[in-house]
Amino acid sequence: MTATVNTKRMDLHVSPLGRVEGDLDLRVTVEDGVVTQAWTEAGMFRGFEMILKGKDPQAGLIVTPRICGICGGSHLYKSAFALDVAWRTELPPNALLVRNIAQACETLQSVPRWFYALFAIDLTNRRYAKAKGYDEAVRRFAPLVGESYERGVTLSAKPVEIYAIFGGQWPHSSFMIPGGVMCGPTLSDVTRSIAILEEFRHNWLESRFLGCSVDRWLEIKTWEDMLAWVDENESQYNSDLGFFLRFGLEIGLDRFGAGCGNYLAMGTYLHPEKYNRPTIEGRNAALIQRSGIYAGGKHYEFDQARVREDHTHSFYQGSGLLHPFEGRTEPIDPAEAKRQGKYTWAKAPRYEVDGLGYVPLEVGPLARQVVAGKPGEDWQDVDPLFSDMIAKKGPSVLVRVLARLHEEAKLYRNVREWLRQIDLHDRFYIKPVEHESGRGFGATEAARGALADWIVLENGKIANYQVVTPTAWNIGPRDSQNVNGPMEQAYLGTTIHDPSDPVELGHVARSFDSCLVCTVHAYDSKTGKQIGYYRIGETG
Amino acid sequence: MATLLWFQGGACSGNTMSFLNAEEPTVCDLLTDFGIEFLWHPSLGMELGEQAQALFHALARGEKPLDIFVFEGTVIRAPGGTGRYNMFAERPMLEWVRMLAPQAGIVVAIGDCACWGGIPAVAPNPSDSTGLQFHRRESGGFLGADFRSKWGLPVINIPGCPAHPDWITQIVVALATGRATDIALDELNRPKTFFTSFTQTGCTRNQYFEYKQSTTEFGQGTRKGCLFYEFGCRGPMTRSPCNRILWNRQSSKTRAGMPCTGCTEPEFPFFDLAPGTVFKTQKISGTIPKDMPAGLDPISYMGLAAAARVATPQWAKEDMFVV
Repeated sequence: MTATVNTKRMDLHVSPLGRVEGDLDLRVTVEDGVVTQAWTEAGMFRGFEMILKGKDPQAGLIVTPRICGICGGSHLYKSAFALDVAWRTELPPNALLVRNIAQACETLQSVPRWFYALFAIDLTNRRYAKAKGYDEAVRRFAPLVGESYERGVTLSAKPVEIYAIFGGQWPHSSFMIPGGVMCGPTLSDVTRSIAILEEFRHNWLESRFLGCSVDRWLEIKTWEDMLAWVDENESQYNSDLGFFLRFGLEIGLDRFGAGCGNYLAMGTYLHPEKYNRPTIEGRNAALIQRSGIYAGGKHYEFDQARVREDHTHSFYQGSGLLHPFEGRTEPIDPAEAKRQGKYTWAKAPRYEVDGLGYVPLEVGPLARQVVAGKPGEDWQDVDPLFSDMIAKKGPSVLVRVLARLHEEAKLYRNVREWLRQIDLHDRFYIKPVEHESGRGFGATEAARGALADWIVLENGKIANYQVVTPTAWNIGPRDSQNVNGPMEQAYLGTTIHDPSDPVELGHVARSFDSCLVCTVHAYDSKTGKQIGYYRIGETG
Repeated sequence: MATLLWFQGGACSGNTMSFLNAEEPTVCDLLTDFGIEFLWHPSLGMELGEQAQALFHALARGEKPLDIFVFEGTVIRAPGGTGRYNMFAERPMLEWVRMLAPQAGIVVAIGDCACWGGIPAVAPNPSDSTGLQFHRRESGGFLGADFRSKWGLPVINIPGCPAHPDWITQIVVALATGRATDIALDELNRPKTFFTSFTQTGCTRNQYFEYKQSTTEFGQGTRKGCLFYEFGCRGPMTRSPCNRILWNRQSSKTRAGMPCTGCTEPEFPFFDLAPGTVFKTQKISGTIPKDMPAGLDPISYMGLAAAARVATPQWAKEDMFVV
């Protein structure tokens, strides 16, 4: 590393910052070692919404999974529901169960793959060489060769084997269709799925990751419970999760990366008996993992009508603040757009909260788990743990990561139960009427957050198709009011110990698990001259 | 020891995700057992920022040997051929490709996007995307039909949306174990060992196909029948080993009741997703499939169909994949 910092104030610009999928550049201004401004710049545009216009109504089932190969199953899940709404289909319970199983298996895969391959590598950064747990972190998490890395990444392929049993393959099946699913599973499809799920639990989830049973882990209801759990026995203390919790606290991952503190979950996993006639209005009440907004310390119901996309600072014509049903995607040359103060391909989704106006909201596992803290039905995900964590510790990199890891145990349990509920002698599909016109909204929770489609059908083809991704919610830019997006806000106040290797920025970026490779660039703020690029993360 | 650099252009990471599902060898084994040195990968990369750029420049100048250059995603040329719709490490990705490809021992295109444009290249192709050496079925693409890497080979196309992990890892192992000369390519520069047989080869619905018995509907309806006749399955016209080398070690789309969409062929998505074409067999005068099983003409097809219907045993009209 060559650059040294002589000025008190400098800008960092790291390019490319890898391991977050896709291309994302990050520019930050650092004053006295603390981040005071941030710009997230998504660097790639393919124009899927433009491609979908005028196409077959079902084209979204093929096209939208290819927006993101990491959460393609989630794209399929919500695009099928959007068509169900538009075509006013009827769904048999089995169809909802199989869709839920597939979506959950994709997330079960994503959590270990993200944790080991993308996030935990940074724990082996030499900035932590003096920490007590450092040698152990390297032994476990060193890329490709770390003991836990190798096991975790390899076994992450197991849950999507279940996806393949029902959907043919993962990634990129299109087996969820309006009216249900394409498969008609046999007995051995279900029994094999159970066996694979149990293998995943036995060989990784309980034995290596938790160090205890799923049931024991899910007894944790408060931050104090979690701390007590670590010290309860050697197995939990030395599990990957136990170690991460100890090491994360030792190196201070609980002290930065808070974000905007306001959250959105669109919810997912539709109850097999409560969403057989999919509508926009009936969706919230049928969600097992619930939707909701938590803003300014209060819970609100989610209403898709309050979503807007601002593109004041995005490489598109105009400034937007349009509802997705009216959404437009008209790209302009970034070179020209930059002269208008635009700086990214991501749009800036906003949500109207009473009394607060159109605000940015963080999406993802932490948002889901905060929303899970509100009262609900016994068949829903009701869980006080992260409301307690937010109240006692406040949000941070550590809390955001723990929320993601916590869900793994719950999803295992869900999938096991849904596999039990499949009635092999009942239908998996009810042929729908293919209406010429209609409007649909479909949403889910991808591993990394709320994901939704808005579709308008006219004359038997797609008149408008808009997709709002979790990555846009989290890494989107400033809006017309110059309010930063959630990830930009999460950088603010972060202390950079070594500007030549700002690993803290990597922790923040990767705690959001965005589908974009994040890149940080450094500038001298006085001269405006770029003084270097910095790597974030390195081998031990 | 072979060095490998993996870049993503207009990509969804689907091929990377597929690659990570590999077993025998796993991605970790590729490194330890076969001596593949991952110089950089967007998801697995360790060198970032300035170090990464220094590495890329050294490779581009030929100062550091690059054996295998893997490219995932389309080459984005918009706007106006500048490639500014896809910036990477401070410059348009197409400039990196232009600099790196000639320095590589071998260039491997992973997935449809890198091979010939894939879904981003569907009209109106907003990003002006193309493949490395093909645009759809037309030879050329970004690097041009005459491009040859340092080992004298055209771009090896490993298509699919995504490519199966084995198609990737076995080719990488072949390259790393000195079997590059065993990789015979077809007219689309796909390895023949994978892309000579059909998707239908090994499909569990083959007996239904023989007797011209159609699946009646999705879901429970896929307990019997072939998906070619009504649901647009392209298994008989598509070259892939999807039913020889199963997906995620478990199944394939056609086994699970999903019609093959022909994603190892340059025309995918077929008919550019025009209204009425998705999951529906296109027919002439309402009866004869517009796209024939490979090698058949409509007259032979009709003769075969008539004979097959007469010969159909009762079991071929009933469910086979039962509870």
